[in-house]
Amino acid sequence: MTATVDMTPPLPAEPGPVPDRSSAPKNLAVGQKLWAWLGVAPFFVFALMFLLLPTVYLLVGAFQDADGHFTLQNLADLFTPTILSAYWISIKVSVASALVGAVIGFFLAYAVVLGGLPAWLRPTLMTFSGVASQFAGLPLAFSFLATLGRTGLVTVLLRDLFGFNLYGTGFNLLSFWGLTLTYLYFQIPLMVLILTPALDGLKKEWGEAAQVLGASQKQYWTMVAMPILFPSLLGATLLLFANSFGAIATAYALTGSSLNIVTILLYAQIRGDVLHNQNLGYALALGMILITGLSNGTYIWLRGRAERWMR
Amino acid sequence: MRKFDFAAALRRALLTTTAMGSAAAVLVNGFAASARADAMEDLVTAAKKEGQLTTIALPHDWCGYGDLIEGFKTKYGITVNELNPDAGSGDEVEAIKANKGNTGPQAPDVIDVGLSFGPSAKKDGLIQPYKVATWDSIPDSAKDAEGYWYGDYYGVLAFEVNTDIIKTSPKEWADLQGADFKNAVALAGDPRTSNQAIQAVYAAGAASGATDAKAAGEAGLKFFAELNKNGNFVPVIGKAASLAQGSTPVIIRWDYNALADRDTLKGNPAVDVVVPASGVVAGVYVQAISAFAPHPNAAKLWMEYLYSDEGQLGWLKGYCHPIRFNDLAEKGKIPQDMLAKLPPADAYKKAVFPSLDDQAASKEAITKQWDSVVGANVQ
Amino acid sequence: MKQSKIGSWIAFIIGTLYFIVPLIGTFEFSMRMKRGEYSFEAYRVVFSDPNFQQTFLYSTLMGLITIVIGVVLVVPTAYFIQLRLPRLRPVVEFITLLPLVMPAIVIVFGYLRLYNSSSWIPLTANARATDLLLAFSYVTLALPYMYRAVETGMRAIDVRTLTEAAEVLGAKLPTILFKVIFPNVRVAILSGAFLTFAIVIGEFTMASLLNRPAFGPYLQLIGANRAYEPSALAIIAFLITWACMGLINVFGQARQMKRST
Repeated sequence: MTATVDMTPPLPAEPGPVPDRSSAPKNLAVGQKLWAWLGVAPFFVFALMFLLLPTVYLLVGAFQDADGHFTLQNLADLFTPTILSAYWISIKVSVASALVGAVIGFFLAYAVVLGGLPAWLRPTLMTFSGVASQFAGLPLAFSFLATLGRTGLVTVLLRDLFGFNLYGTGFNLLSFWGLTLTYLYFQIPLMVLILTPALDGLKKEWGEAAQVLGASQKQYWTMVAMPILFPSLLGATLLLFANSFGAIATAYALTGSSLNIVTILLYAQIRGDVLHNQNLGYALALGMILITGLSNGTYIWLRGRAERWMR
Repeated sequence: MRKFDFAAALRRALLTTTAMGSAAAVLVNGFAASARADAMEDLVTAAKKEGQLTTIALPHDWCGYGDLIEGFKTKYGITVNELNPDAGSGDEVEAIKANKGNTGPQAPDVIDVGLSFGPSAKKDGLIQPYKVATWDSIPDSAKDAEGYWYGDYYGVLAFEVNTDIIKTSPKEWADLQGADFKNAVALAGDPRTSNQAIQAVYAAGAASGATDAKAAGEAGLKFFAELNKNGNFVPVIGKAASLAQGSTPVIIRWDYNALADRDTLKGNPAVDVVVPASGVVAGVYVQAISAFAPHPNAAKLWMEYLYSDEGQLGWLKGYCHPIRFNDLAEKGKIPQDMLAKLPPADAYKKAVFPSLDDQAASKEAITKQWDSVVGANVQ
Repeated sequence: MKQSKIGSWIAFIIGTLYFIVPLIGTFEFSMRMKRGEYSFEAYRVVFSDPNFQQTFLYSTLMGLITIVIGVVLVVPTAYFIQLRLPRLRPVVEFITLLPLVMPAIVIVFGYLRLYNSSSWIPLTANARATDLLLAFSYVTLALPYMYRAVETGMRAIDVRTLTEAAEVLGAKLPTILFKVIFPNVRVAILSGAFLTFAIVIGEFTMASLLNRPAFGPYLQLIGANRAYEPSALAIIAFLITWACMGLINVFGQARQMKRST
């Protein structure tokens, strides 16, 4: 199910019969680099035409006022308490749903890939995760309301069948943690889908080799498996963070007027019936891009440290 | 040579001209009437030649637009291309801007936006003027003097109540604070972004007696803060589904949306629509034609259709009060059964129409302070 | 080891409960259309609309096209970045994260400004060209997921050794890419394909503003102000999309089977 060509793992490699590059003509190396550049060119052209150029308007707009003159006022406006608080809450929700989603997603992925469950469960979970990963917005918010809301199916069943008052325990779906719980519905499947190929790459031989060398389960995990998986885990968690950071529809539908998050403010300015200060909206988007860039930078730094081990 | 008699010639010329003039005047008047009819015919021909109309932000259940669009298609044989029914007023204006220079079917020809968007779109040069045949019967306060934008319909804020869950419907704003309405009251939008929700807060404030727009906004915020403290306020955006499911048994929204819901739900659950006894706030929407419309004649024909008696009654069928309501009522053109389906007319007599300045002042107060005053710190 | 199996089962069962229960809640509500009894009335209303099939087929086709374009774009890029141009990796990763935080509505308005009928690339000039533009916009939306999936998969295989071995055996670049690399990241590509397909089926904003008859706008039109139909639609869309993914999965695995025999 994995590699058709079985290769040795990238662990401390013994010097083997590798083509001696230094004796190859310099042209070969240059030629290879040229092909590499050509190979990535389509991606960059596409990104330029269909992602970057259309959004230049947004970036330029962040620095303009309603009449089109250059101004830094929009950026200054970002530092009002409401907006700063919105960014902070957005970050909190995104971190919470990303971390919890990553952990649960990891265990779920592990269970079907390496956990010894019946083989047919894996494609079922994969395909289901595909669908669930995009089940967001109003349908998702409504399904949670219909299940765990005050008049939801589960709430009512718990009350009628078991005499258990869910809301009496202080649980409230319309709260920070209720929103995080709802976000997990698309975060966990995303983690499962991204992580499965990485778990596939965790060769059984390494586990067996570790056992033969006398390592316990715990040692295998902390010293062999985790370090190998770490960069992939980090990358997937970053994706979950950005995914949640940019989400709006679910939050709007569920906790619309009570939780103050950046995407709602942004949409209010760009789309709203009311405020319509587009340039402020663009500045908000610029702020979001910067935060995403920062988290990407953090991820790269963390990954660099992890990969240093591998070399 | 006889001297040319200028005086006589002049007199004769003047007499002839006057005679011709009055004859002409009679003819012109006659022509005007048939000219209007001809102009209409020309418009229809030109519109049919364009063959298509592109609309945006017109959900079928909103003010009976579904039937109106079908009626237009059947009457003139012009296809109607409907873009994004979910668009807000800001989206519509943005769609015009983004499609400048695009003659494809993505460019909207006509827009239906909130009152405050009319003047701002005119200022940005996004709309073109047009005065429909029935222009004079549109109240002055609801139209732009130069014809750039014109009010189309209005509704008032009402309570939509799920009577399966709430046994006694609220009669006024103060009733909502009662213990019967724990975890029951919701708005139909986010008060920081949605016009409907902001007007609802404003209306709550107006009910408490505040006359100044800003004071009414702040009083409204206090009302909702108290509602939240009592545990009566649900921050979910109210929709037909959440009303039926039970998470938002009372929704504050435009009467026409509430009445349309009542019809769609067909008694499952039973819905009561109540216009509050005080604090009745009306919201006006306006129509406009895009300055870059790819099908300007079809757009003009659409306007003529909407402002004809047929179009106006079509809106009334969707429970929206058409802007020419008073005019039609005077002429006795409104069918009795249509009137019977609406809430009693007395409720509308007290309706307050906030001016553009009023709206701006209250919006300012409400959107900026919602989070700090009401801001359900639902953590 | 028996112990880990129980752990796996517990994880799986909890996961299943979490995902299935909200769906049951939605289903139960959708059955309540007729007062006082459970019925499939909402589903009957949904299925009786002819547009349902048309728009669903259109979106399915667009989904498949998007997957192909996405794979062709992303796999070589991830390969070359991993192998030869590691310095470019942060740049590419940042680019692929942008669609997640950029509002879709801003992107599509950008397209209308840049590629409308009077620009140098008139992609809205006719229906087919607009379809192409829509496909490109879907690829943009799916980029973060497709790239992350493929990159994770590439990382799990040793691209350097595979490439060198293939070169030693005399393979040229196209052969290496299509016959060596692609099959090895098959699982990752499938993950990316699932995510892409789900995105395309449910996507609403771009299809609506570019005025193409996709499934997303149809869902919106039907469900907008109704109470029970949206829930029925959610369940139906869920099940049908799941079935389609099952087909994609079977197709993806079947070719694998053929290859190894």
